Amino acid sequence: MKLFLKPSLAILFAATVFTTSSCSNDEDPLPENEEELITTLKLTMVPQGGGTTVTASYRDLDGDGGANPVITGAQLAANKTYEVTVQVLDESKSPAEDITAEVQEEGHEHQFFYVPSPGLNLTVTSTDKDSNNLPIGITTRMMTTSSSTGTLQVVLKHQPGLKNATSTINTGETDVEVTFPVQIQ
Amino acid sequence: MRKYINYLVLLLLCACVPLASAYAQSGPTAAETVSEKDCGITLSGTVTDHERRSVLIGATVVLEGTPHTSVTDANGHYHFHDLCPGTYKLVVSYLGYTSERLEKFFRAPEVVNFRLHPDALLLRSVEVRAARQREQPTQASSHLSGRELAQTQGQSLAQALERMTGLSSIQTGPSIAKPVIHGMHSNRILVMNNGVRHEAQQWGSEHAPEIDPFVASELTVVKGAAGVRYGADAIGGVILVEPKPLRDSAGTSAVLNLVGVSHNRQGVVSGMVESNPAAVPSLSWRLQGTLKQAGNSKTPDYYLDNTGYREQNFSAAAGWTREKYGVDAYFSRFHTKLGVFSGSHVGNLTDIRNALQRERPEPEADFTYAIGVPYQNVTHDLLKLHAFYRTGPSGKLHLTYARQFNQREEYDAHGDRSRPGLRFEIETHHTEALWEHPLIGNLKGSLGASYQYQFNRFEGRFFVPFYESHTGGLFWIERWEKNQWHLEAGLRYDYRHLQARMYRKDTPQRTGQAGPDNELLTPTHTFQNLSGTLGAIYDFGPHLNLAFNAATAWRSPTTSELYSNGIHHGTGTYEYGNANLGVERAYNFMATLAYVQNKRLNGEISVYRNYIDNYIYQEPDTVPTLTIRGAFLTARQKQANATFTGVDVSASYQLTEHLAFATKASLVRAYNRSADEYLIWIPTDRYENSLRYTLDKLGAQGTFAQNFIQLSGLAVARQRHIPDNYLARDYAMPPASYFLLNAEAGTTLQLGKQQVEIGLIGRNLLNKAYRDYLNRFRYYADEVGRSITLRVSIPLHF
Repeated sequence: MKLFLKPSLAILFAATVFTTSSCSNDEDPLPENEEELITTLKLTMVPQGGGTTVTASYRDLDGDGGANPVITGAQLAANKTYEVTVQVLDESKSPAEDITAEVQEEGHEHQFFYVPSPGLNLTVTSTDKDSNNLPIGITTRMMTTSSSTGTLQVVLKHQPGLKNATSTINTGETDVEVTFPVQIQ
Repeated sequence: MRKYINYLVLLLLCACVPLASAYAQSGPTAAETVSEKDCGITLSGTVTDHERRSVLIGATVVLEGTPHTSVTDANGHYHFHDLCPGTYKLVVSYLGYTSERLEKFFRAPEVVNFRLHPDALLLRSVEVRAARQREQPTQASSHLSGRELAQTQGQSLAQALERMTGLSSIQTGPSIAKPVIHGMHSNRILVMNNGVRHEAQQWGSEHAPEIDPFVASELTVVKGAAGVRYGADAIGGVILVEPKPLRDSAGTSAVLNLVGVSHNRQGVVSGMVESNPAAVPSLSWRLQGTLKQAGNSKTPDYYLDNTGYREQNFSAAAGWTREKYGVDAYFSRFHTKLGVFSGSHVGNLTDIRNALQRERPEPEADFTYAIGVPYQNVTHDLLKLHAFYRTGPSGKLHLTYARQFNQREEYDAHGDRSRPGLRFEIETHHTEALWEHPLIGNLKGSLGASYQYQFNRFEGRFFVPFYESHTGGLFWIERWEKNQWHLEAGLRYDYRHLQARMYRKDTPQRTGQAGPDNELLTPTHTFQNLSGTLGAIYDFGPHLNLAFNAATAWRSPTTSELYSNGIHHGTGTYEYGNANLGVERAYNFMATLAYVQNKRLNGEISVYRNYIDNYIYQEPDTVPTLTIRGAFLTARQKQANATFTGVDVSASYQLTEHLAFATKASLVRAYNRSADEYLIWIPTDRYENSLRYTLDKLGAQGTFAQNFIQLSGLAVARQRHIPDNYLARDYAMPPASYFLLNAEAGTTLQLGKQQVEIGLIGRNLLNKAYRDYLNRFRYYADEVGRSITLRVSIPLHF
């Protein structure tokens, strides 16, 4: 028995050492793939009764961390009404993916909130409704009055099962939260 | 992945060689195995006093049912020669001591030592098993087995371990708990599952050990640095999850366990069947499996949405044991799908502040077993092959190979719900050779070598990179016992090579288009170091002993500490790794005074100080990380010198024959010596008292046996030992202290020939709303409320 045993145990040990020590993996990492990456939020502001269309944008093409985002603010005319459309995009993909449509589709659990800083003479009203007749905020009407400077915060909230007549900017999880410098003159 | 399968096949073939050759040698019939030519077995051992550990001269050892008797000599030794393989009953008796007996199938020469208990000490109907004596470690340690372990059925491993002094758990909601030993967890403690280092995504505080607690017949915790035997990383301690040894006496038995838990309407079915066929005495096997399902947990005032989970686990083991050698194989799979509490779905810092303002988490929830997004899907496989070969009368050589595969999928609330947002796969191969050398005088010891290969990959969003590591170790432990002294010394050397693979992060590289801006980085790290241990036990007398241990252990930074880069979901933190981290080293000193085997008062006190140089921890940055989703707390990995100091006390007092009072307390203080302030997220002071009434027989013919009822109160203090500018590091101050009233009862029911063991456990009986400092979801919701567990265990013999 010994005759068989010792060599076979030696083989077992040699095999295990061989197995583990010869493990080596040359696999290259897969490209990162963030599901639902939002890189860009864009506001397109069309003045009523003529004038130049204004575009404000927040772009962070490499996602969280890494390079700093590029923020373009808005210069608005005083005493003017703008019809505004917001877009959220994933511009890391080619062609860029428009995530706004998905927000629209799930409008009953999403809402955009617009918060002008105190002193900025700007009022924002939602002009769209979800399936429950609650505002989504993809399209809005912004009205300026006298010259002033400040910021406009745009927040997209995901409110699954939470969105109702009393839900607020403090309800749910934040999908987007950006702040633009705004000048009214 | 696929190429490992080839290796495995090769390995299995190799493992089968000794098995097949042995079979061919011994012949297929059982009659032959017990033929005269094999009747050369010697059973021998030493009989000692349990407390004094002094040898007992003149103790009688009888092989019941045979004419053989042996009387221990001047060294306490007894021996029986020329025995044939078979089942023997050893009965050891000595005047003034309780007799002990052991029934076992012996197929090879064996050393069986007995420690006898003085008669007067058998107060309660404790189950005295004449097991082979356990080496008392010089480090503080605790065990959980038998009925006390059974009472934890339905709980997670970490919750079960909370019964031991010095242990607590770090939680992420009601379904995820990780054990904490002396204030340390995750990367600083090791879990040995059936003798194999459990290798998974230990670094995450929301990644609980992927082990089915029903596998264990004994849980042991070694507290303090224990790196010599188990390898680097065991800075805070080691948890040993040990299954029952395979049957060594002929027969087939099974056990069925049923558990129901009220707060989450959890149901558990767990079964085990094992056999040692009489026709093939060398073979033993076991099959075991567990199914679990739980729904939303309930706090005193509300349900916690999406906190249900499901678990399906199984294991299979088989062994072939002969006189001189044996081989065994073990495979286990753990699979769980668990929901992540909806109230913790927070994005940025503003969301967390909003959550803190709420009295109740949103959304309002009802009870359901359904699991929605986000959820985790975790699978852990372990394959272990082990062989031993006897080298002389008391020496033994062990060879072990183990392969583990851990897959963790995190499904997010956003995006494509058919695919995980993040998938980790970690594969580990481990080989160990261990030689327990024959006794040299009073010296007993072992030498060993181990090697481990690990590979980690991920898909989806980046958090921890691909990496590959090779770890090799050599160790040597000796133990010397004479009279009142037990000395222990050990040394270990480990070498670790780590290579990470990732794309450069500060460039637009998420498109996956390799290019100059999308460079593949392959940083490598090499760590090597020594671990050591030195310990002693001195017996002052039969009831009092003092153990002292000094140990040093180290760990290398983990890949997540070196390279993590991303948002840690649910914590509102953007975590940055630090590639410049160096080795963390612990110098651990511990003294344990034990007053044992007394008629009324028994107790143990353990004090420790663990100096940790270059302790790796997360320090929040004053500047938050701005993303398109708003601001996140920035956390960076730093190193500082720290000290963990603490004391564990446990004592019991037998008030009457049936009534006993027990008390337990644990205190730990963790201090950052470099910054001159306390560390955060350290367990708070715990103090538990209990009153237990036991009654051995009840009912007409003693239908109810081993009855007990216990009432206990647990007080957990508010953490007051915190740094000054606390809210710069955490979102909320440590929660208030709390008190919980718990109760337990149990009985063994004799229904004809069938036994049924029943246990009832009530937790948080006063339905107190409270929050625990070590729960990462304490910002969002209360802990679970009143919960009743009913468990039934039915042993079956065929």
